[in-house]
Amino acid sequence: MADVATVAIGVVQAAGIVALAPFLTGVMRKVKARTQKRVGASVLQPYYDLAKLLKKDEVVSDQSSWVFRAAPWVMMVATVTAALFVPALLPLSPFGAVGDVLVVLGLFGLARFFTMLAGLDVASAFGGLGTSREMMMSALAEPAMFMTIFVVSLTLGGTNLSSLVGAAAQSAGFVAVPSMLFALIAFFIVILAETGKVPFDNPATHLELTMIHEAMVLEYSGKSLALVQWSQSIKQLILLALLVNLFFPAGMPPSLDAGWQVAAGAGAFVAKVALVAALVAFVETRVAKWRLFRVPDLLVMAIASSMIGVIFYYL
Amino acid sequence: MIIGDGHSVLFYLVILAFIAGALVPLAFRNSRKASVASFAPGAAGSVLTIALAASIAVSGTALEMPLPFAAAATEIEFQFYIDGMSAFFMLIIGLVTLAVSIYSIGYSSEYHEKRSIRALGFLFNLFVLSMILVVASDNVFSFLVFWEAMSLASFFLVIYEHESEGSIRAGMTYIVMTHLGTAFILGSFLAMYFQTGSLSFDSFRSPGSPMPAYIRDIVFVLALVGFGTKAGLVPMHVWLPQAHPSAPSNVSALMSAVMIKTAIYGLARVTLDFAAPSSPDSAWWGMLMVVAGSASALIGVLYAAIEKDIKRALAFSSIENIGIVILGLGLSVVFLSFGLQALAAVALLASMYHSLNHAAFKSLLFMGAGSVLFGTHTKNMEQLGGLAKKMPWTALLFLIGAIAISGLPPLNGFASEWLTMQALLSSYQVPNVALQVSISFASIAFALTAGIALATFVRMFGATFLSRPRSKEAEHAKEVPKTMIAGMSVAAGLCIVFGILPFAATGMIASSFGLDESVASFNVLTVPYSVSGIESISSMSMPAVAVMMGAAGAAIAGFVLASGSRKTARKIYSTWDCGFGELNERMEYTASSLSQPIRTVFRALYKPRMTISKDRYSDSNPYMKKSMRVESETKDVFEDRLYAPAVKTAVGFFDRVRRIQTGKVNAYLLYVMIALALLLLLARVMP
Repeated sequence: MADVATVAIGVVQAAGIVALAPFLTGVMRKVKARTQKRVGASVLQPYYDLAKLLKKDEVVSDQSSWVFRAAPWVMMVATVTAALFVPALLPLSPFGAVGDVLVVLGLFGLARFFTMLAGLDVASAFGGLGTSREMMMSALAEPAMFMTIFVVSLTLGGTNLSSLVGAAAQSAGFVAVPSMLFALIAFFIVILAETGKVPFDNPATHLELTMIHEAMVLEYSGKSLALVQWSQSIKQLILLALLVNLFFPAGMPPSLDAGWQVAAGAGAFVAKVALVAALVAFVETRVAKWRLFRVPDLLVMAIASSMIGVIFYYL
Repeated sequence: MIIGDGHSVLFYLVILAFIAGALVPLAFRNSRKASVASFAPGAAGSVLTIALAASIAVSGTALEMPLPFAAAATEIEFQFYIDGMSAFFMLIIGLVTLAVSIYSIGYSSEYHEKRSIRALGFLFNLFVLSMILVVASDNVFSFLVFWEAMSLASFFLVIYEHESEGSIRAGMTYIVMTHLGTAFILGSFLAMYFQTGSLSFDSFRSPGSPMPAYIRDIVFVLALVGFGTKAGLVPMHVWLPQAHPSAPSNVSALMSAVMIKTAIYGLARVTLDFAAPSSPDSAWWGMLMVVAGSASALIGVLYAAIEKDIKRALAFSSIENIGIVILGLGLSVVFLSFGLQALAAVALLASMYHSLNHAAFKSLLFMGAGSVLFGTHTKNMEQLGGLAKKMPWTALLFLIGAIAISGLPPLNGFASEWLTMQALLSSYQVPNVALQVSISFASIAFALTAGIALATFVRMFGATFLSRPRSKEAEHAKEVPKTMIAGMSVAAGLCIVFGILPFAATGMIASSFGLDESVASFNVLTVPYSVSGIESISSMSMPAVAVMMGAAGAAIAGFVLASGSRKTARKIYSTWDCGFGELNERMEYTASSLSQPIRTVFRALYKPRMTISKDRYSDSNPYMKKSMRVESETKDVFEDRLYAPAVKTAVGFFDRVRRIQTGKVNAYLLYVMIALALLLLLARVMP
């Protein structure tokens, strides 16, 4: 299994994901602001927020139980553990032998489970509203995500992230086979849904008509809120890293032996993530929030798209 | 190899313990003594069962024994043979019974001085004993006798609270459906009997001449319908959500966690042992099971997601999980038909592992629901809420069960669902495009099931234990007695152990089913992937995931503590109410409103009907209302579209038949005459 060097690489890579995730959130907000002809806050604003929140006192609802207090920790632990399994700067999942892409999905599920419970625990109508909507969204987003992984696993082989990314790196640039193209469409939709982006959710508002994720975590403050926001950023970066490494392997080093190739690959990764993030932010500006009961149509489309991918693979 | 003595003594002790548990309480009038006298031997018996089953499963040796008083050389005798497969299911029975017996000591105090505890103890032990003997049976006679004993004991337990009309109705549905199922099982055995000329399972296993393909097909289909009825496979499931919740909660736990597993045992026995598939011709068996299994999983969870009665929701979720188990079994049969032994082992491991896991978390959840019922006297989620503060231990244990059943790491549900997903992914090796594509559709159903299951258990836990209490009963709930918490803790412990140490389960399954151990080498589950050019190994290690989660938690805690430059305080204040003041329990989301979006998305299945009646002050003004009343209901499509017409047709037919029963003696004499004449004629025509 993993030797000391691999473990060290894994920990450093995960620490990188955790540390850079708020930056990505800042960049996406900046791009969104600019495309909307606003100046926008500094890209470092999420860090300032976190630093401030970690120092502030907390207010906890008198209706809540220990579940509410435990939930941010569970969210954070689950997403940080997921970060340990995800290839990001390096085309390598250091702990690939002990956890695969399905484990990452499972950990996200755990985080979501507690987010939804936290929404219910405070006994406000907002929390219930968020949880109820999230129940519907996640019930459809999870199968969409799983079917996307199904296609990717069939095309690139297995569910081990190291070998998936390795197989992607072997192919030249963009993995242009029909099954992967359909999976890409599905995965992009799923990312928008999972990270609470505009056609699904609008995290920038606190309006009851539009909010889903924000409604569930409305009661959090101080440290707990910091953990909630941070874990949300980490999840976003992990999903984008998966997208980039599985579908756009261009510039990825074919092996880890040559130092400059690895460095170039890491640089390429950052550039690609920034591009995709900018695209997501652009989509957010161009698309209006969809009516709640039209959202399932989009998710069903994602499921259908990956199913078409499966059929293309087999034919 | 067959070993006697040690194991057979243990087997007799098991039988004795449960018989003692059934009979001793009859001597006590005092309820408290009677409950200890019945459930303490039950717990002892289950410990012995666990010891016996584990020792057989691990050693891989079988125990064969006719009872001493059996008449030799007849087909009508009790014969037992406990091989690995039987031992594995016996282990499930033992583990769950241990937890439930401990729990029952406290739970039965609910019925003290109101109902006969003696009857409860008697039936409970009889029920468990007959389940153990069903899986130990080695011929058709003993199998069916104990199968019937199991059905009858559970029937009487279902109608234990016999004053309520609902439980009598549920009991009737149950007993009719279960006997229909038994008829199919009998048919399946008879088909094999006509082929082999013997009623012993040995002869089914190795018939003198191989069974012709069409006989094997008949055997399989009859067994699938028969055992599927007992397992609650869609569309034979209608009895399950009525019967399981009607029984006392400890018995519901046994029925949902264990009894339906005896049907899985029967199905596994027939499809893997008696009529094992060996050629691609029998791939359709597996496909039928995959389709039925994934349909059950999806339909079960969809109904669980909208159900208001906590025990009924759990019963629907049993249909879901049994669907996942049969899906895995079906995949295993598909792989076997194409000679893919290694993959068949993965799928079978997934299926059996999920059986074991389901036994652990479903018994835990039913016991938790029983505790809620015990503390609040209601099982309607609309009237619960806020119990996490009143019943903290029950809440914690129920949460463990909810996380496990939702298939989330690091608990056991995730491990078996991971294996099931791997088995689904591996279907690319089946050399048939039609099957590959159909299995991918089953994968969508499976993934959708997993997604909705998560929502279902968030809703169940949230509506029951979180936010404000929605009724007086919930407001004044108290924590349950220690024995009940102890019983639930045993089941919760199993969820954790089988989760972070999967080897405890997978190693046992591998040795009892004679699987290749490489799938489940020490705590790393591995499935190889290979198509032209790409070779890789998918692997997952639950203990490592758990350790990493622990390490991540420690690192985060360290960081958060170190980052705060000053000590932060935590203030308790009321929930934000938009300045409205006085939030109350009528403003929070209820169980029904939580599932409303899901109900809308899947309205094609539920056919929800909503009637809004308004009482106005005057007809001319539609805006001034005195009162409004909203009623919404959803239908069970299967009951309405399938069973109601069938029952109506049958009743109509028998009404017509009844016309010959005139009640006049001379008419009956005429029938006798006609029958006699016909018989004489028949005797003349066919000498």
